[in-house]
Amino acid sequence: MGTVTSTSARSSTATSTRQILRRALGYLFQFQSFFGLIIVFILAVAYSPVRNDANIFLSQRNLSNVARDVSETGILATGQLLVILIAGIDLSVGSVVALTATGTAYLLMREGWLDLPLIGSVQVSPMDSVPAIITILIMGLLIGWWNGWTSERFKIPSFVTTLAMLSIARGLAHIWSDNIAVPISYRAGGADPSFEILSERIYNNIIPVPALIMLGAGIVMALVLRYTSFGRHLYAIGGNETASRLSGISVTRIKILAFMLCSFFAAMAGIVHAAQLNQGSPNEAVGYELNAIAAVVIGGASLMGGKGTVAGAIAGAFILGILDNMLSLNNVDSNTQLVVKGLLVVGAVALQRFRPRDID
Amino acid sequence: MSEQHPTAGATPNGADTPVILSMRHITKRFPGVIALDDVTFDVHSHEVHGLVGENGAGKSTLMNIMSGVYTDYEGALVLNGHQVRFHNPRDAQDAGIVMIHQELNLVPELTVYENIFLGREHKTLRALVNRSSMRRQAQKLMSDLGLDIDPNRPINRLRVGQRQLVEIAKALNLNSRIIIMDEPTSALSDTEVEYLFQVVRNLRAHDVAVIYISHRLDEIFSIADRISVLRDGQVVGTSLARDITRRELINLMVGRELDVLYPKETVETGPVVLQVEDLTLRQGRIHILDSVSLQVHQGEIVGLAGLMGAGRTQLLEAIFGVYPQSQLSGTIYLEGKPLRIKSPKAAIQRGIGLVAEDRKGQSLVLERTVTENATLAALKQFLYFLNVINQRAERNAVTDIVQDLNIKTPTISTMVANLSGGNQQKVVIAKFLLAHIKLFLLDEPTRGIDVGAKAEVYNLIGELARQGTGFLLVSSELPELLAVCDRIYVLCNGRITGEFARGAFDQAAIMEAATQFEDQISASTD
Repeated sequence: MGTVTSTSARSSTATSTRQILRRALGYLFQFQSFFGLIIVFILAVAYSPVRNDANIFLSQRNLSNVARDVSETGILATGQLLVILIAGIDLSVGSVVALTATGTAYLLMREGWLDLPLIGSVQVSPMDSVPAIITILIMGLLIGWWNGWTSERFKIPSFVTTLAMLSIARGLAHIWSDNIAVPISYRAGGADPSFEILSERIYNNIIPVPALIMLGAGIVMALVLRYTSFGRHLYAIGGNETASRLSGISVTRIKILAFMLCSFFAAMAGIVHAAQLNQGSPNEAVGYELNAIAAVVIGGASLMGGKGTVAGAIAGAFILGILDNMLSLNNVDSNTQLVVKGLLVVGAVALQRFRPRDID
Repeated sequence: MSEQHPTAGATPNGADTPVILSMRHITKRFPGVIALDDVTFDVHSHEVHGLVGENGAGKSTLMNIMSGVYTDYEGALVLNGHQVRFHNPRDAQDAGIVMIHQELNLVPELTVYENIFLGREHKTLRALVNRSSMRRQAQKLMSDLGLDIDPNRPINRLRVGQRQLVEIAKALNLNSRIIIMDEPTSALSDTEVEYLFQVVRNLRAHDVAVIYISHRLDEIFSIADRISVLRDGQVVGTSLARDITRRELINLMVGRELDVLYPKETVETGPVVLQVEDLTLRQGRIHILDSVSLQVHQGEIVGLAGLMGAGRTQLLEAIFGVYPQSQLSGTIYLEGKPLRIKSPKAAIQRGIGLVAEDRKGQSLVLERTVTENATLAALKQFLYFLNVINQRAERNAVTDIVQDLNIKTPTISTMVANLSGGNQQKVVIAKFLLAHIKLFLLDEPTRGIDVGAKAEVYNLIGELARQGTGFLLVSSELPELLAVCDRIYVLCNGRITGEFARGAFDQAAIMEAATQFEDQISASTD
């Protein structure tokens, strides 16, 4: 008997140790993107060139640059996450950034006579920044509505509808600007000077305004996902669309809303983009959708829907941004950066396979 | 005995046929459930071995272990005297064991011969697919089996019965010694069933052992040489078919008096809660439901009996607003008021809830918490302005209902995927209770949950009925319907073909009504 008891006791301690390990591993994966962020940060510090005994990566200026560079990806990733949560994807955000950046620049700078079909010639003058921004954001909502509505009404996978929008938005951007970049200048007769705030840094010139916008967007959406019925429904639909529909959720409406918000954030990123570059060009922002999707996926979201957090997505954006910055500081050329970024995405997703699952 | 079946070739002569596969002391656990408990099961050569048992008894689990689908179990498989352990279905196939699943595993767009050779194509120079050689052999297989199916026909142009036969041909092409058939006749017409039986007898004559899983006892008695009964994960009996009567078999399967399992209390029924008049569901030219009229009173449990494909699920879904109005005609009255229910959302708002057939696929968001699932249909009650959720009120409500329904869960923020089937089903019921449902539409609410949990679910239903909720209950388990219902409607080919009050329940009459429009009822049975 004695041996039997001791064996069982030993095996039970073994299983409890395993359980603890499993739980620890579970937490590790739950916050995968943050551990990833810490690791990338440490790597960036370690490999940073040093000048005058100062770590260049850790210099105020550089960190501020990283935050600024990340902010557009972060804003896009916040929107993209909503669509990925419902097991969709939005491939059009890069083109929408180009279109809305071009549109912003155009609205701020337009002057002279505009030939409109049916209406005829209209004299226009530069818009103030607030109405221009609102117009562009509404445009984002309309684009998103179209993406969502076509997907839902005709049961087309969002991969296809947003691929179409990728082409449509890019084309519209070219048409709108006659193929050339629209420069924004703040001299007299030019753009509304208040728009320039979007390209500045506050607090002793440290914190870039776009980073604050990303932070605001992220916090608001994190709260919405956590505390509102809309957020609850997004996760439910992504987890099981049929069950959600049979539970009386307006699945179609929620899904269209997710696409609208995604393009809304893309338009927001487009406005920031125009302010940063002082121009709106139809050729900009190529491939931004891939950065956004990569950030969301690195952040632990599942393309099958129902899983993912805003914090993860933004951490993912920072991982990509710090990596870019680290490679640039070490004079690695941009082509190699692309390769590394691709490998990172595969690595992050492959890691998810080791996530302990509670379901057998 | 053998003289009695001259056409069947070699028939078994009692226990003398050798055992070719022996499953010894098999135990299989799933989270929260022991699916198989020390099961020992022998397969004899030259034999059709019928395997029967209620839903959830463990038949499929046992066969999935035999065919290499489940690799994680306790116990041993002994094949021809050697212990084996399969790591995947392919291992089992290589050892001569093939399972033909209920949902067939054929690629509809490919032809018959392409399916037969799928993954094992004949090749020239190890690279090019040799179509003519595959066609030739497929044709040979067909003639060996006495089948009249063109190997060049795509699967999607065959009838279901023919597809079943193609699966058998595919299995034979692997030189299978043991073929497992899981409910092969559930979608076949009687002539097709008879044809299938001939093929099975033919197989037996060619030294292939067949394990035949079915709910239909008539079929079991007409095809099986030996019958094993599984109940609650245990083999409760194995016998030669000729040594056991139908009644003995049923008693073995059920194992206890149903009245004890599902005590029925008489409830004073109230006014009519649901009235359906001439409900017709048309999809294309096909009438899935054909002028269905029925009533459910408050506190009444009304059963819907019928065979698979009779339209039972569709009837519940039509009432629940799943189908577009353009496909429907007829009127639905809820508490006397005529309604047009355009969506599940509208149905729930009016007080109708549907517990769908496929718990995991249609009812639950498995990877979310008990709380989130329980309030999915009733979230509106817990909202502040701007749709912000009042999480404290939500927690309290869920805690209460988890207690009321006796849902066994570690906490209310446990993922529902981690609960047992019965408790999952209770979460689904809780979801609609929180939404203040007056009429429950239940579609196979006890499928895949163990016997104890079944009783609890039915007790819960009885309790709710006493409080005045109306129920429309679909179940394939006629004994369950007989035990719990106040009234039973029988549905056949989309029409109501019978109505029985509790006093007049008659299993034979119900079965007859359920098969009214079938071509012919096989005379060979009984």
